Amino acid sequence: MNSLSRRLGLAFIGVLLASILLFMYIESGAQQAASHIESRDLIRLLKQQDGIWDNEVLKSRIALSHNYDPLVSPLNEMSRLWQRLDAIEAAPGRHAPELWSTQRDEYLKALKEKTRLVEQFKSHNAVLRNSLAFLPTAEDDIQRQFALLSDNDKLRLQSATIDTYDLLLATLEFAQITTQDQAAEILMGLNQLDINKERLPDGLVSSVEILRRHIALILREQPLVNQLLRDFEAVPLAARLDTITHILEKDQEKAAAKHQRNHIMLLVFATLLVLILIWLAVRLVRSFGEIKRVNSALQTANDELEQRVEERTRQLKDTQSELMDTARQAGMAEIATNVLHNVGNVLNSVNISADLVSRKLRSSKALGLGKAMNLINEHNHDLGHFLTEDEKGKLLPGYLNQLVEAIAVEQQSLTDELAQLSKSVDHIKDIVSTQQSYAGANSLMEPLAVSELLEDALRMNSGALTRHHVTVIKDYGEVPRIMGDKHRLLLILINLISNAKYAMAGVSNHARNMTLKATVVDDETLQISVKDEGEGIPEENMTRIFAHGFTTRKDGHGFGLHSCALAAIEMNGHLTAHSEGPGTGATFVLQLPLKLAEGEP
Amino acid sequence: MASHGLILALCLLVGYSVTTHAEPLDEPLKPLPAAPALDPKRVQLGQRLFNDPRLSVNNTLSCASCHRLDKGGADDKQFSLGFDGKPVEVNTPTVFNASLNFHQFWDGRVDTLEEQVHIVVTSPVEMGSDWKTVVKRIADDPGYARDFADAYPSGVTQPNIQGALADYERTLLTPNSRFDQYLLGNTDILTPREKFGYQRFKEYGCIACHQGVNIGGNMFQKFGVMGDYIQDLGNPTRADEGRFNITGDEADRQVFKVPSLRNVAVTAPYFHNGSAPTLERAVEVMFKYQLGREPLKNDTQLIVEFLKTLTGEWEGKPL
Repeated sequence: MNSLSRRLGLAFIGVLLASILLFMYIESGAQQAASHIESRDLIRLLKQQDGIWDNEVLKSRIALSHNYDPLVSPLNEMSRLWQRLDAIEAAPGRHAPELWSTQRDEYLKALKEKTRLVEQFKSHNAVLRNSLAFLPTAEDDIQRQFALLSDNDKLRLQSATIDTYDLLLATLEFAQITTQDQAAEILMGLNQLDINKERLPDGLVSSVEILRRHIALILREQPLVNQLLRDFEAVPLAARLDTITHILEKDQEKAAAKHQRNHIMLLVFATLLVLILIWLAVRLVRSFGEIKRVNSALQTANDELEQRVEERTRQLKDTQSELMDTARQAGMAEIATNVLHNVGNVLNSVNISADLVSRKLRSSKALGLGKAMNLINEHNHDLGHFLTEDEKGKLLPGYLNQLVEAIAVEQQSLTDELAQLSKSVDHIKDIVSTQQSYAGANSLMEPLAVSELLEDALRMNSGALTRHHVTVIKDYGEVPRIMGDKHRLLLILINLISNAKYAMAGVSNHARNMTLKATVVDDETLQISVKDEGEGIPEENMTRIFAHGFTTRKDGHGFGLHSCALAAIEMNGHLTAHSEGPGTGATFVLQLPLKLAEGEP
Repeated sequence: MASHGLILALCLLVGYSVTTHAEPLDEPLKPLPAAPALDPKRVQLGQRLFNDPRLSVNNTLSCASCHRLDKGGADDKQFSLGFDGKPVEVNTPTVFNASLNFHQFWDGRVDTLEEQVHIVVTSPVEMGSDWKTVVKRIADDPGYARDFADAYPSGVTQPNIQGALADYERTLLTPNSRFDQYLLGNTDILTPREKFGYQRFKEYGCIACHQGVNIGGNMFQKFGVMGDYIQDLGNPTRADEGRFNITGDEADRQVFKVPSLRNVAVTAPYFHNGSAPTLERAVEVMFKYQLGREPLKNDTQLIVEFLKTLTGEWEGKPL
């Protein structure tokens, strides 16, 4: 129990460690790092585009480029890049929501401002560059027309053209160095130009007027463009991107620190897991040792056990042979018991016969003869007188005659009883001789009349039957003489009759009838049944009644039916019992193969 | 000699052209880019929608009603008529090459073609509709419903209708103008007068604003740098205030998107108010009010001739 809980605890710790490792692995996944790298990359590209934008603006400023497409395309590119960046950074859990939205607003505000300034710059710069580019042409135009004038006019208008030229130079200078002084100078030049215009011929006036308008435009636009560029440079777009970069860097630092921490934790937990594994491995190796040790012990025990089993087997064999000897002896005892039982049964008849003879002898009429002789002896002297005269004497001859008759009857009865007695003794002799030849002795087959056999059996029980007031009903069918083992048949019949008698010992409410029946079934089986109307056999005893040692009687020894069944089997027949249950009586049926005696049909 | 023959044979084998093309010219004007690769299903849907009057509230106007591809991508009216038959505020600009403009509308109020679609569909003077109606009409058409479902995972939606139209418009480029061929190095394609015209175009400073791939369309400019054209024309309208109406910035008064000059010869009348019926007149106005210059005799004509070389092709035919 203890070790089981310890093992469970260990497994739990192992699983816990493994899940922590898994969790940390997922936690420190490359996702964030990858998106971080992408964000940094996008910001770098944004800054690059911003730089390109600045560069293109400056190129337009110094009239290096006359194509304004490059001032548009970076914005498109930037908005595309920003969308991607925003998609990554606005993802939940990336930043505190306000932090990113603030950054986004700041950036977009700066971008909008810069875009506005660029748009204005484009518009103003385009016209400014145009006018500046036109100045030399305008001057040429004026000079060309001036050249066409008459010398007189030329001389007269010399100062005007010089003024114009000065103004042109001042304007060009103004384009480079835009100062208030320069602006004031140009303004003075323009005023001078207006004054000079009065003196100029018509053709020149329009040319000068065109020049004047363009210079005025430059005077107006140049500071504006310069201011736009200053504003443009002041737009903190790059700074916004730097701030975002800074935030991302801090995030990354945090992430890196977390990563580092995770790494250390991973290392620690992994080490723990490895230690547990090592410990388990050590345990395993030890367990192997243990198992090996136990195995060898088991082997030894096994060997010992085998030895012991062998020894025991030998002992058992010895015991068995002893037992067999014992059994043999016991068998002999059983045989003896059987013999004694059967002998006992017959002895019963002998005893009855002897008792009968002794009783008859005790009440013998022969005693009357003695009395008669005494009477004669008393009257010896006057015997004649006595026999003829005396009252008593006259009766004496008649008495003696009667006595002779009575004695003769008595003698006959005694002779019969003694014949019975000797028959029983013969039976005992038979039993003994039969039992002596039990083991392997062939049964003695002799011609028998079944009815005689039954009568013999009844006779042997007759005293008891009479005592128990058992009425025997004889139902002998047409049974021919058979060849049979008289002794075994008698043994069985006596036993069955005796049992029927005992079975009806407790019956008091009706007549004690016992039916003996002999029939031939199917011309090949002799069937003898003994039916009583006694206590019957309970269902549960049906199979046990033939077992050795089974008895329902207090003083019974349980050999009777057992030896009967054995005897029936020895005669190639069988003995069966039938009963409807307790109180319904029982029928025992002996079936034997029919072997007709010689001379029978 | 034999090795030369071998090289020549190899060159022929690998299809290497031995006739060398002239290098593209490095000019402030840039040749038209190739049309972008877009989902043909969406472009086709856009085309159908472009010609579908169900976009207008009373089923009278389609995009193509005003942007007639057979009339240079616009119509020839000073002001197109809205769904209610009343004229709209500004002259219809061409839809051709509109995707190359940095903003849409004369006042540049939106940045994308998608937004442009939205403004026109919902404008009370143009199509006068609303998206609920439009989306329902389109979605109720089994053909549209099927094709939208095919082209867009989300089927018929407002953004998808806008997207399809915008995608279609992105394909409306007019390549192969003679001037583009000139820029790509085929300098013989222009006549000397046209070349002179281009030269004047540059000299007078037209190019200050009309440059880039779309020859304009990449900046805002005040209409009337050198004079007040609108004042001179009389009857100023709200639309004449241009970008000011969008930004409210005084500096943006009468500021408009510089229009593209591509196909300019076939998109009369000109300017936001369609006040110049001919190209010559438009060029003259530009000279006077934008450039503040007096063109020399013939120069206007030369520039007009140059401008006519900017007409490109649509579906293989010149506009």
